[in-house]
Amino acid sequence: MSQSHGIQTLLEAEKEAAKIVEQARQYRVQKLKDARSQAAKEIEDYKKSKEEEFKAFEAQHAGTTSNAQTLVDKETEVNLKNITESFNKNKEQVVNKLIDRVVLVKPELHRNLSKVEA
Amino acid sequence: MASRPLNDEEVLNEMNKMVAFIKQEAMEKAREIRVKADEEFAIEKAKLVKQEQQAIDAQYEKKRKGAEVAQKIAQSTLTNKSRLKLLHRREEHLQDLFSTSRASILALAKDGGRYVQFLEGVIVQGFLQVMEPSVTVHSRKRDVELVQQAANGAASTYNELSGRNISFEVEGSLSDDGAGGVKLISGSRRIMLDNTLDERLRLLEDRMLPEIRKDLFGANPNRKFYT
Repeated sequence: MSQSHGIQTLLEAEKEAAKIVEQARQYRVQKLKDARSQAAKEIEDYKKSKEEEFKAFEAQHAGTTSNAQTLVDKETEVNLKNITESFNKNKEQVVNKLIDRVVLVKPELHRNLSKVEA
Repeated sequence: MASRPLNDEEVLNEMNKMVAFIKQEAMEKAREIRVKADEEFAIEKAKLVKQEQQAIDAQYEKKRKGAEVAQKIAQSTLTNKSRLKLLHRREEHLQDLFSTSRASILALAKDGGRYVQFLEGVIVQGFLQVMEPSVTVHSRKRDVELVQQAANGAASTYNELSGRNISFEVEGSLSDDGAGGVKLISGSRRIMLDNTLDERLRLLEDRMLPEIRKDLFGANPNRKFYT
């Protein structure tokens, strides 16, 4: 009688022990799940902050682009004006040069030929 | 081991000891498992996070580079457009210049003395170029007499320069809209030489472009080689 009673106690003790170990294993499983979910959250946060960083960079860049446009346009205007001024200043002289050369004529015998003596 | 059977008290004692032992072992095993679990948790989490962070960083680096390149392209396009505008303006001015010149040459034929001299010159030049025994000299209708006169002088000058003789006929076949000058066609009608004022001006427009550019707009600061 007392023997089976003792064995029963031991068996119960084993059961308890198994429960304790099982709890620990469940803890481990849960911890791994936690690792994944926490990592995911951290990653998400990181991504968000990177996205904001990039957006700030883009906004700043858009500013410089429109700046560049106005700068270039201004410079172009100045250059165009200079071109027209320069042209108007020199036009007459060049027209005269052209006209002079149109009538300038210097007839020469081709250099490979020589005069035929009668 | 005990040498005699144990009494009830001792049995209970041993039982409790055994129960305690079993529990103790279980607790220790559980503790080990938990500690390891914590370690693995930390490692796994750090690994996952680092992996993804690297991927994200690479992604954004690429985006950033793309944006930089796009900006450079935009800048380059602006500069190019600007240059084209400038060139366009210059071309407009050039056309204006040429049309003014074309209008001006019409006045040349009016200066009688110089015009005859000019005619003689271009006819000699034509003769020397064509080198044929006979040619037809085409002129504007209203220049026929002048050209006849000039061509006679030209024929003798031609003889002086080349020792050859040339016979010619004058035809007033060119339209009076032209500015003046002559066209020579060889006797066999195979060679044509255009020495009209219009054609000469056109040739000049083309050949003198570098010089015209320099005179109108200044030398090119980027040019490195001149013949």
